[in-house]
Amino acid sequence: MCPPVHFGVLYEINPWMHREVKVDADRTREQWDGLVTNLRAAGAEIELLDPQPELPDLVFTANAGTVNHGVFVPSRFRHAERQPEVPHFVAWFEKAGYRVRPLPDGVSQEGAGDTLPFREVFLSGYRLRSDAGAHSPLSRLIGAAVRPIELVDPRCYHLDITFCPLDDRRALIAPHFWDAYGRKVVEALVPEPFALEDEEVLAFCANSVVVGTNIVMPSCPPRVGRQLESWGFDVAVSPMDEFQKGGGACRCLTLALDVAVGPPAG
Amino acid sequence: MASEVVEVEGHIIDSLILAKILDVILDSGADYNMLDFQIGRTSVDPSRARLEVTADDDDLLAALVAELHIHGANRVSTGDAVTAFADLDGVLPEGFYSTTNLATEVRLHGRWVAVANPEMDCGLVVRPDGQLRTIPMHRVRVGDAIVVGTEGVRVRPMARPRGPSPFEFMNSDVSSEKPKELLVSQVAERMRLARAAGGRILAVCGPAVVHTGAAPDLARLVRAGWIDVLFAGNGFATHDIESNVLGTSLGVPLVGSQPLEGAHSNHLRVINEVRRRGSIAKAVADGFIPGGVLHDCVRLGIPYVLAGSVRDDGPLPDVVTDMVEAADAMRELIPGVAVALMLASTLHAIATGNLLPAGVETFCVDINQAVVTKLADRGSHQALGIVTDAGLFLRSLADHLVPA
Repeated sequence: MCPPVHFGVLYEINPWMHREVKVDADRTREQWDGLVTNLRAAGAEIELLDPQPELPDLVFTANAGTVNHGVFVPSRFRHAERQPEVPHFVAWFEKAGYRVRPLPDGVSQEGAGDTLPFREVFLSGYRLRSDAGAHSPLSRLIGAAVRPIELVDPRCYHLDITFCPLDDRRALIAPHFWDAYGRKVVEALVPEPFALEDEEVLAFCANSVVVGTNIVMPSCPPRVGRQLESWGFDVAVSPMDEFQKGGGACRCLTLALDVAVGPPAG
Repeated sequence: MASEVVEVEGHIIDSLILAKILDVILDSGADYNMLDFQIGRTSVDPSRARLEVTADDDDLLAALVAELHIHGANRVSTGDAVTAFADLDGVLPEGFYSTTNLATEVRLHGRWVAVANPEMDCGLVVRPDGQLRTIPMHRVRVGDAIVVGTEGVRVRPMARPRGPSPFEFMNSDVSSEKPKELLVSQVAERMRLARAAGGRILAVCGPAVVHTGAAPDLARLVRAGWIDVLFAGNGFATHDIESNVLGTSLGVPLVGSQPLEGAHSNHLRVINEVRRRGSIAKAVADGFIPGGVLHDCVRLGIPYVLAGSVRDDGPLPDVVTDMVEAADAMRELIPGVAVALMLASTLHAIATGNLLPAGVETFCVDINQAVVTKLADRGSHQALGIVTDAGLFLRSLADHLVPA
């Protein structure tokens, strides 16, 4: 995670961002600290990346890249505004001993924000931020199958706003924000999906972090909470409205480092 | 028609990406041909598909290729075509690209250039001015730049004929079991459409056109301006002239009853008289030939090629007896032809079929189904066989186009 020292809405690259809306620095820090507290309580260990001036979105570490079995594939951001983040992420992962494997030139791919593991494969959002053409090289680099899902609503520009894997059988899903083929792919992959209502999706319900049977969510309507509890999950709510001004919530502020899908890559 | 080759790879089966790409292509009104498909052995191995996508025009194709790119299918880049210089007259360089009769484009200096005159079984020559033409073997000259190999050469598949068409009506290319009257009216309609679009109409005639009594109907079409080019042999021309000079075709009266005594030599006497005059045109000019198809062609300045064969009597002075020259003379007249009527002719019809671009609508009328099938099998992409008597067909066609 990256502390929100320089977070703000300094440009507009998604429909949530409006430069005239100011973020409250104190509430931002409070919400981020609250998330850290909830994650630690859920059993997570947290590594930190140093914040950098002029890179307000560096807090959204989910977009650093894709991690699998100690391999780190840095993102290639679609927007120029976020491209300068890449060297900072790469430097951290190199220092931490990860094998850094870059994607070929000419494709966009926005890391774990668009690449979520479920069982033995990764689902990968495309069209709005990541390119479909990136999924094949990404698959080679991380040594696991990658199935692209087309995202159709600019408000849900990354897959992690529309899909939250819970365990080997269950996931929160937002099928209205995928095309018909994507829905079929998820239907075939996830035995017990729970479909979110559109307003739940747009409240970033799926942008949650799962640690074992604990789930840290930016908001949790009773309907969703009842389902999660009946499945045996403990829900903690971490309000994220300051970060939602930038189009992100709990999951966007984190990057899982312990992902291990499929056999270790060679 | 426009086409591009695109390639998509990855987990394209489980992710339904391939299914989506194929649907996107078909939904746009375009079509595809799967050139290559490799399925990954394990769930981690990528699969790869290579597709040739064809659309009605370049704009539609460009929009489609852009849409396919979004779903991860990329255009396969092609290099320039390779050429080699001919080192002998009349001989193509080794490995020469052998043409089809389909519209063909060649990539030169990064640009796709269309072949000016598609013809099957030729080479491709790049002229010093950059023009690209098919070239029959015998016309190759030392130093000609000839395309070798298949790199940088693409063939555009046939567009579907526009407008109501007998090709759609027919399930097979050849049928003896279709209502002829309906077919004839549709052929007439295709001729009208071709003419309206500025296309020329070619008639290829065998002697049976005269034997069956259809020559006056064909002449009616010629006089009404429905025939722009005529290909035939010594036999058709001889019998057309014989029937107009002596009233017989190979000695048999076309009107009346019994064969006449000694009339078997009528055609020889007619050929002899035309030879005496030096050409069919001169025989028309001095009144020896009073009427008929060739008479009307001469009068109206409609070009014709009479190609000889080894069994010809005479032959008539206009008959081109060098086959290579005859084929070249036919080639000269083919540009602009949009409809070809092959009428009761086997050898001339097939020879002509070999020279025509695939887009020419070809109607092959013969009482013998084998001829019709043979022509359709030779790769004439829009050849429709009509198994019927040429005489009945022509009378009906003339009635449609030139009502009495």
